[in-house]
Amino acid sequence: MDSLDPNFEIEVQALVQVLDELDYFQILKVPHEAEPHELKLAYYRESRSYHPDRFYQVQNVELRESVGRIYKRINEAYVVLRDDAKRAKYAQDVLGPDRPKKLRFVEESEQELKKEKEQEIGTTPQGRKFFQAGMLDYMAQRWAAAERNFKLALTYEPANANYKARREEAAKILKTQPGPGT
Amino acid sequence: MSDDIAIGIDLGTSYSCVSILKDGQPQVIPNEWGERTHASVVSFLEDGTVLVGNSAKRNIITNADNTVYSAKRLIGRFYFSDEVKKAQAVMPYKIVEGESNSVRIQIRESVYSLPEISALVLKEMKAIVENHLGREVSKAVVTVPAYFNDNQRQATKDAGRIAGLDVLRILNEPTAAALAYGFGKDIKQKIAVYDLGGGTFDISVLEIGQDVFEVLSTAGDTYLGGDDFDDRIMTWLAEDFLRKTGIDLRLNKYCLQMLKEAGEKAKIDVGRDRVAHVHVAGICQDPNGRIMDLDATLQEAEFNRMVMDLVQRTFKVCDEALQSARMTVGDLDAVILVGGPTRLPILRESVRHYFQRETMVGIDPDEVVAMGASIQARALLEAKGGADHYLLDVTPLTLRVATVGGYTDKIIDKNTPIPIEKSKSYTTNRDGQEKVKIKVYQGESNKAAECELLGEFEFSGFRIAYRGEVRIEVTFEIDTNGIVHVTAADVETGQKTGCTIRLSSGLNEADIKSAQAKNAATTLARAADHQAA
Repeated sequence: MDSLDPNFEIEVQALVQVLDELDYFQILKVPHEAEPHELKLAYYRESRSYHPDRFYQVQNVELRESVGRIYKRINEAYVVLRDDAKRAKYAQDVLGPDRPKKLRFVEESEQELKKEKEQEIGTTPQGRKFFQAGMLDYMAQRWAAAERNFKLALTYEPANANYKARREEAAKILKTQPGPGT
Repeated sequence: MSDDIAIGIDLGTSYSCVSILKDGQPQVIPNEWGERTHASVVSFLEDGTVLVGNSAKRNIITNADNTVYSAKRLIGRFYFSDEVKKAQAVMPYKIVEGESNSVRIQIRESVYSLPEISALVLKEMKAIVENHLGREVSKAVVTVPAYFNDNQRQATKDAGRIAGLDVLRILNEPTAAALAYGFGKDIKQKIAVYDLGGGTFDISVLEIGQDVFEVLSTAGDTYLGGDDFDDRIMTWLAEDFLRKTGIDLRLNKYCLQMLKEAGEKAKIDVGRDRVAHVHVAGICQDPNGRIMDLDATLQEAEFNRMVMDLVQRTFKVCDEALQSARMTVGDLDAVILVGGPTRLPILRESVRHYFQRETMVGIDPDEVVAMGASIQARALLEAKGGADHYLLDVTPLTLRVATVGGYTDKIIDKNTPIPIEKSKSYTTNRDGQEKVKIKVYQGESNKAAECELLGEFEFSGFRIAYRGEVRIEVTFEIDTNGIVHVTAADVETGQKTGCTIRLSSGLNEADIKSAQAKNAATTLARAADHQAA
C-alpha cells in the first residue's frame, strides 16, 4: 500500500476550493468530445485517485471529507455524462451564457413531466377529487356517473384540457350505449 | 482491543458464514465442531443463555416459542408490512408491535428488536473467530442483499453495533462475491452475479477493469429465496397428507415446523439424488390418538414443476438488471452463482439456459460472500492512502420525497453510483413558518403508498419570515454503505438547520446503547448435545 503523498493533500484542498466552479467535463478531466469508452477510463482513473475507501484509515478528517466531496461530484458527473440525452443538454448548457448556474445538472424534464401530470390530474383539490371519482366511474364503465364527475371537476378548473377531453369521451360513449340509470 | 484483524460476515436469512484473510487469502473460519456455515437461528434457553447456529436449529421444534429463525426477512420492515403478516401466520415465535410501527419479538417476558436478534447471530460469528484465533476481534464488514433498502441496511448496521462490532462497511452480497472471484486475478470482464439466498434474490451486473469493480446495475426481490422452494414442498406434502388422512398438518404450528424441516431436507435430497424419500415419524395423532407418520416420495420432475414459476421470477429480475445496464446476455463474459439454492440442478440448468453459457462455480456458493467480505474488511483496515481494488457500487432503489396528493418526486435514480448527493430547494409556504417536514421514500412508483417510507424529517431553526422568503436547501446523501442521510440548510445564511425529528422504525442511540449492554451480558450457550445429534 502506498502512503499518502503530501502533494496529493495540497491537490485535494485546491480542488475542493474550486469544485463549485468546475463543469463535469473538468471534474472528470475529459474533453467535451470524449467517447463513451474514454469517459469510462477517466471515471476509473479518477476513482483510483479519489475513492473514499483509499483513505479509510487516514487520520486527517478534513482530508477525508474533502475527498468525499470530490468523489461525490465525480459520481455525479459520470452519471450525467454517460447518459447521451442528459449529456447533450448539459454540454449545451455549460457553453451557454447561464454557465455558472448550469454547472450542476438539474433534471428539468422531470419537473416538466410533473407539470404535465398536474395538468392531467388537476391543480385544485376539488377538481382532482371529482376527476379521480370520474376516472373510477370511467374504469367501472359507469358512463353517466363519470360524465357527471368530469363536469363537476370542470367547474373548478374550466381550462383543464384533460378534464374536457375525458368528459367529451364519456358523453360520447353514453350516447352510443346508455348504461343503467340513465 | 485488536486493530489488525477485520472479519467478513455473511449474515444470511437461513445460514451465516464468517471469514478472515490469512496470508492474503480469504479463509472461512469453522466453529469448534468444524461447521463452516451456521444456521441463523437464535434459541433462548431456560437458563438465560442463548444458543445460536445449527444446534439452535434443532430447537425450532423442541423449543419453538423461544427460537427465532429467518429474522432477516423481518429486519428493517414495518409492522404493517405484508412480510410481517405472513411471518406471523407461520412463525412459532411471537411477533409483536413496537413503537412507531416497528416489529418486536417477544420471548417469555422479554421483548427484542430485530437488530438485537441479528446481533446475537453476529455475536456468535465474532465468537467463532475469537475462539479460533484466541484473541479478540472487533472490526467487521457485514454483507446485505444488494436490493436491501435504507431501513434494512441501517437495521443491519445497528445489529453490528449492538454485537460490539465496529462495522467498517455494509457491503452488497453480489459485489462481495465478485470480489472473491476477481481478487488478484487482474481480469477485464463483464459479469453477472446471480445470488439466490435463503430469503432474497439479487442479480448484479458488473464490469471489472483490472482493479476496478464497477457495478453497472443491480436488481432483486427481497421476498424470494430458497425458503420459498421449501414452502412449495411443504404445501405438496401437506396436501398429499390431507388427501390421504383428512388431517391438515398446517393447522398446528408444531406439525408445521416438522413439515418445514422435511421440506428443506427433501429439497436438498432431490437436488443431489434426483429423488427424495420423505419420512417423518410421529408427525401427528389422528382423532383416536393413534400416532401417524408422514411418508412421501418426491421425484425431480415433480419438484421442478412445483418451483418453475419461482425460477422464472428470478429471470424477470435478471431482464430488468440487464436492461438497466444496457446489455444483453451476449455481452456477458461470465456468470457467477451464489447461494445454497444455486446447487439445485433445476436452477443450474435454467440459469445456463437463460444466460446461454456455462456458469462459474469455482468457489463454494455458501462461502463466497463471506470470503469477499473479508477481502474488503482487510482492504479498509489497511487503507492509508492506497488500495488494491476499488468497489464502485450503486444504490438499488430510487430515492424519493413526498409531494402533494400522495405522489412522490424522484431525487436519486436507482443504479446511481454511490456515494452521491443531490439537493433540492424548498420555500416556506406560510408566514412565520418554523418547520419544514419532508417525507423520504425508496421505490420505483411515483405513488408514495407503493414505496417504502424511510422516515419523516422535520427541520427547524431557520429564519422566521414571510412565506416564500426563506429558501431551505435539503441535501440527500447516499453513503458508501447505501445508507441515506438528509440534512438541510438555509440557502441565504448557509446556516445548517437542525433535524428535530426523524420518524422511522429504526432504533435511536439510547436503544442501541441499552441493547449493547444486554447483548454483552448475554452468554452464548455451547451445545452439549452436539456430538450426539
